[in-house]
Amino acid sequence: MRRVEHVMGFPVSLRIDDAYADEETADPVFAWLREVDARFSPFLADSEVSRLDRGELRPDEISRDLVEVLGLCEEYRVASRGAFDARLPGRGLDPCAVVKGWSVQRATELLVARGVGRFCLNAGGDVVTYGGPWRVGVRHPEVADELCAVLEITDGAVATSARYERGDHIFDGRTGRPATGLLSVTVVAPSPTEADATATAAFAMGAEGVEWAAAREGCEVFAVDAERRVLRTAGFPVAG
Amino acid sequence: MKRAISVVVLTAAGLIPLWRYEPSSATTTTEVAAPTPAPSSTASSSASSSPSTSAAASQVVQGSTVTTSKGAVQVEVTFEGDRISSVRMLQQPNHPQTTAAVPVLIKETLRAQSADIDTVSGATITSEGYARSLQAALDTKGS
Repeated sequence: MRRVEHVMGFPVSLRIDDAYADEETADPVFAWLREVDARFSPFLADSEVSRLDRGELRPDEISRDLVEVLGLCEEYRVASRGAFDARLPGRGLDPCAVVKGWSVQRATELLVARGVGRFCLNAGGDVVTYGGPWRVGVRHPEVADELCAVLEITDGAVATSARYERGDHIFDGRTGRPATGLLSVTVVAPSPTEADATATAAFAMGAEGVEWAAAREGCEVFAVDAERRVLRTAGFPVAG
Repeated sequence: MKRAISVVVLTAAGLIPLWRYEPSSATTTTEVAAPTPAPSSTASSSASSSPSTSAAASQVVQGSTVTTSKGAVQVEVTFEGDRISSVRMLQQPNHPQTTAAVPVLIKETLRAQSADIDTVSGATITSEGYARSLQAALDTKGS
């Protein structure tokens, strides 16, 4: 079965290949992602994130999920030496880059817990595969309907950060300026949390982010720099 | 004294990989386990040392500052007789280190290609942009 829904401002495509799978199999995934949007969107005034940012929540009133998300934000801020920051000066709390991967990971766990054996979930360009092989294309940074790499993945996550879709939306927390050192960076990792946050942080860091991401445990990297050169790790799972 | 100098130089060189592999935030002063000093060593020309005590029992020696790609590194070694009892970092870069060795990156040329694929990874697409995306075509096509 296949389903596409628009949640959190981007399309979410789910494909489940198990023969018994029907709409009901997919329902918990989309219900969860809609719940995440309502609770963690900085664009919704009554979300937990917005209320925390306005000082309306005491520390003991923050949900366990948000504590986990904020903990991940801090982990990646420290790891990226401040390039990745959910609290940029002059801006509200924006944990979106972590929430996306984290919520997709939870969605994946819902499917696995239900015994689904083969699925592919694409949340606005971030991909999780299970029970592969799956063939995952990486969008070419300059030509929308072409690819610049094709991967073969069994179980894992692929995330790409670039500004060709939403313009300058990733800022280097160290300078407060839009990140422009790379055209795109793609990270393959065991979990979507790691793939998404590492790709975002590496993009924020610019050229030095490629080596930084490549040094992270379990991460394989494919990056296109501002001079259109490709840099990739030896273990990046290019399809044969 | 000459022997002590050469030991310190080797220790400083041996510590750099150790410090590179340190998993998280580095502080300006760190105690590390004392490595075994090399019994026969050749002196390096870049050594400078300043023993703070001349007593036979305990001696503190500062190594020369070694410049690495991450910044300056300097160690201080305390000897108990001929044995190193502790090593302290006097100088080290104060930013967190990565947990793995510097990876080898393969350089390639950017090439456009099309191929038979199941899904597409790309920068977060907007719901408006989805309609004309490769992923939309794949979703419509079915399996």
